[in-house]
Amino acid sequence: MSAAALRYDLRREGRTPVVVEVPGGTTQRVRLPDNEARTRLVGAVLSTRCGEGEALELFGETVSGLKRAGRARLHDRIGVLTQAMGLISNLNAWENISLQAAYHGTHPAARIARTARDALASLGADPQAFLARLPDEMDAFERKLVAFVRLLAKEPALAVIDGLGEGLSREQSARAARFEAEYRARQPEGTLLFVDLAEEGFQ
Amino acid sequence: MIRALREVEGGLRLLMSVWLRVPALRRPPVRESFLRQVYFTGVTASTGVVLRASGLGALIIAFTMQVLDADTSLAVKILLWVVLREVGPLAAAMVVILRTGTAVSAELAMMRITGQTDALRRMGIDPYDYLVVPRVMGVMIATAALTCYIQFLAVLGGMLLSPFVIQASFTELYTQFFSLVAPVDFAYSILKSLMFGFVVALTCCYHGLNPPAFTQNGVPQAVTRAVTQSAVAVLTINALFAYLVFGVLFFGLVKAVA
Repeated sequence: MSAAALRYDLRREGRTPVVVEVPGGTTQRVRLPDNEARTRLVGAVLSTRCGEGEALELFGETVSGLKRAGRARLHDRIGVLTQAMGLISNLNAWENISLQAAYHGTHPAARIARTARDALASLGADPQAFLARLPDEMDAFERKLVAFVRLLAKEPALAVIDGLGEGLSREQSARAARFEAEYRARQPEGTLLFVDLAEEGFQ
Repeated sequence: MIRALREVEGGLRLLMSVWLRVPALRRPPVRESFLRQVYFTGVTASTGVVLRASGLGALIIAFTMQVLDADTSLAVKILLWVVLREVGPLAAAMVVILRTGTAVSAELAMMRITGQTDALRRMGIDPYDYLVVPRVMGVMIATAALTCYIQFLAVLGGMLLSPFVIQASFTELYTQFFSLVAPVDFAYSILKSLMFGFVVALTCCYHGLNPPAFTQNGVPQAVTRAVTQSAVAVLTINALFAYLVFGVLFFGLVKAVA
């Protein structure tokens, strides 16, 4: 088994400890006991910072104590699809997808355009019409699709998808389930982590 | 009182920060946002001012000649002083406050309240670089361009329409105007309009990014504050400019007539 791409440990008083370990190059699904644990795990990965009682290791590096440059280096290798999705409402789908790469100058626009067109076509959307639409004109699945294609455009070695099926209908969830194959087709060596809430967490 | 002081301090910090962040305009998305702002503030606003600005010049000339019983020379002088130095920049600033100021403050307040500024931070994009710098620079340039456009239309409209209401020919008005106008008049109004644009954009960005409440109600409150404070700032700068330039710089300290 390859080294862990992500190792997360959360200790809270009076609660069961949460330990997550994701080997590199695999696809894993974790079901966390409560919303707090889930928010903290996703938040820690997203910000590459640890809060009280947390320990996070990404690609073998402990994030606490990392300097800004080290944090930025790790950040470049991670893509997170949060429940909020973080789309900018006054930018259309294409601008949302390309914003991060265009701002940092990390990936050429032509490569992002190719990734976006291919991914959208294989996930059942018409790229031409879809890319011109604003987030407010989209349904929950379409917004998730934009956020996912933005994640793909970053070509992350570790992708974390939080609550993939939440807020989606049964039919939309079935379409969203194809995200895994899409990521794997583009990042055969990449690590994919789906984060969900355990059933009892809804009580 | 404390809120007012905090707003002044926040505004000053934003002012310093914007100048240091101007190089962010080199980044393609920031440049694109800047060009959009220039288009929205300058180009789309220009169509609405054509008739009003053209009528303004004719009104000033006709009014001056009628009320003051002035000759064409005095009427053109007043057109020059009023339109070029005062009304042009002020009218442009008011158009910018009403169209762009409201839009910018509402848009930024909505982005802040719905967590979009946090989303930008998570992508490693500084909201001040991406949201504030292009808006401030774009509004500054567009306000100056809109001022020139309003001045041109008002002067041209005044000269073209006046012969229909007063006893003066277009050639007469045209010759008088170009014998009186000086480059300093344009420099004065452009400098002033750049300052107006800067202050309006800065005030609206500040209130947009710092809404008084993080609920939907925060948006109209932020817009109201942004618009009223922008208007007060513009009028204050206008008064200061008039006093400093025409009171102190050109003619020495203004003294009351005994």
